[in-house]
Amino acid sequence: MTRQQILTWIQRNGLFFALVLLVAIFSFASSRFLTLPNVTVILLQNAVIGLIVVPGAMLILCGLVDLSVGSVAVLAAVVFGQAMENGLGLPASLLFGLGVGMLWGAFNGYLIAINGFSPIIITLGGLAGARGLAEFITQGYTTYGYGPEFAFLGNGKLLGVPVPILLFLLVLAVGLHFWYRAPLGRHMIAIGGAKDTAAELGIPVKLVPFWLYVASGVASALGGLIVASQLDGAAVTIGTGMELEVLTAILLGGVSFTGGRGSLFGVFFGLLFVGVLSNGLIQINVSPYVEQVAIGAALCGAAALDMLYQRLERLQVPIDKEPIEPVTQGAGGGQ
Amino acid sequence: MSTTQTHAPALELRGLSRSFGPVHAVKSVSLSLYPGEVIGLVGDNGAGKSTLTRMMAGTIRPDTGQILVAGENRTFETAQDARRAGVETVFQTLALVPGLDIAENIFLGRELLVSGPLGDMTRTMDVATMRRRVQEGYERFGLGLPDIRTKVAGLSGGQRQVVAIARAVLWGSRIVVLDEPTAALGVKQTELVLSFIEQLRSHNVAVIFISHNMQHVMRVADRVCVLRLGRKVFDGQMSALTGTDLVALMTGAATTVEEVKTT
Ligand SMILES: Nc1ncnc2c1ncn2[C@@H]1O[C@H](COP(=O)(O)OP(=O)(O)OP(=O)(O)O)[C@@H](O)[C@H]1O
Ligand SMILES: [Mg+2]
Repeated sequence: MTRQQILTWIQRNGLFFALVLLVAIFSFASSRFLTLPNVTVILLQNAVIGLIVVPGAMLILCGLVDLSVGSVAVLAAVVFGQAMENGLGLPASLLFGLGVGMLWGAFNGYLIAINGFSPIIITLGGLAGARGLAEFITQGYTTYGYGPEFAFLGNGKLLGVPVPILLFLLVLAVGLHFWYRAPLGRHMIAIGGAKDTAAELGIPVKLVPFWLYVASGVASALGGLIVASQLDGAAVTIGTGMELEVLTAILLGGVSFTGGRGSLFGVFFGLLFVGVLSNGLIQINVSPYVEQVAIGAALCGAAALDMLYQRLERLQVPIDKEPIEPVTQGAGGGQ
Repeated sequence: MSTTQTHAPALELRGLSRSFGPVHAVKSVSLSLYPGEVIGLVGDNGAGKSTLTRMMAGTIRPDTGQILVAGENRTFETAQDARRAGVETVFQTLALVPGLDIAENIFLGRELLVSGPLGDMTRTMDVATMRRRVQEGYERFGLGLPDIRTKVAGLSGGQRQVVAIARAVLWGSRIVVLDEPTAALGVKQTELVLSFIEQLRSHNVAVIFISHNMQHVMRVADRVCVLRLGRKVFDGQMSALTGTDLVALMTGAATTVEEVKTT
């Protein structure tokens, strides 16, 4: 193998093997680590982030970003809580909660995707604004106690699998389908990597990101509702720092922050990597501060690999694959 | 090649004019293009070649004049209209996405879905068929390109040019307009593109080939059309001319072929 091939291979599969290595180390250090209950715990702890990561990664692939996810999550939870408090009943309250996420997503999409506002500024505004709105609505008074039906969303099990994990896997499956098997995947790469070209070829360069923002809003709201269900209360702390956890998984997974390149499988491994790292370090009684340092180091490693890969991609003009012999036919003039 | 002249023109321009304010970029240019014919469109800087091209591509509208495709009068409001009518223009920007592979680029924006309602509903692509079609195209045109799964980012300039042209013909366009496809290419890369243009001719595709390089024009063109200051000053068989004649026509040192021949 040439050095280039090795690098390409590392870029494509490095994270997966880092994950395997991490699991091996923790399994060796702690007999409790690789047990079904602990694996379930890891998945459960990351299911909510995982839900939001799927549309989030698609946005980044398009060269956009949604920083408002955590705040939309808490706003949805709070609106749900208020609706319950006012006796609207569970189905209507759930719809209100999800509807808030959808509206906020549509608002982001309208400004950013349709009108070309800066994604960072608008969703940073949402990060502050949606949470502020949530705090304003609650007036410091947290509603709680929504009954066993709602508790099922966060704590229930279907066929022995916790509901949040099922929801995450469902969203992931749909995401993988669209990423790899539907035209949308290619269209997102085109939008993120060469927007003018995409537009020229008739790809809906505004509508695709618009709907992705809507999806991100709905997923964030669903995440907020799941956490509210687990806490049995619409606490204003829901979703704090969520945007960073989402971004970490996506960027660790190798999606280029400038758009146009990345794999959803990679993002899934990125999510598991963070989950395994934090869980494993707790299992072997290492200070939680180490976790942050380790994640930071992993991100830097991913960034370095990404840079090497980009350089390599530019170098990759296959000189050895130059066409065989050109077809020489009668030159111009020959009638 | 002379047999092609008996068919109806694939593309006919009738008295196309276009001004930009006081600048008459193209003045009443008429041109007929037949299937399997390569026309070299030449002219000095600012002669109006790109303006003429953009009218054929649908990106600008002529002030006056008509565009006929296979004998039918067409109005191109957008680039999409031109493409749908079967006139494909390959600009120097090439409209390729580096992060996608060759096959993906060729079907970008026109992906085939698995047939049946399920494929439609789930938007599942028929990747195998798309790859097969591209592979068939490789064989039909004898394309000397790397594997269809190679990312365009990893292709050389000439190879990218070939991919962009191949996309046009694989989508069934019978008329292909190439705006300076060999500019900024090395010898080998140029050869790749020129030999592909010759392949197109033998597959009955009509080609308009714009170039500043007289050698390239003389190599592939059956006919040549010379523009000068927006007017067509010469249109005739390539075989009658030498490179020096062409330059004389382009610069205005001579205004007719007769004049060219006597100087
Ligand atoms: N969008 C425009 N606005 C104003 N003037 C224009 C525009 N496009 C072209 N022109 C003018 O029209 C004339 C013809 O330009 P055109 O680009 O068609 O020439 P060309 O033959 O393609 O030249 P080159 O060989 O340099 O590409 C020039 O005088 C140019 O300045
Ligand atoms: Mg030009």
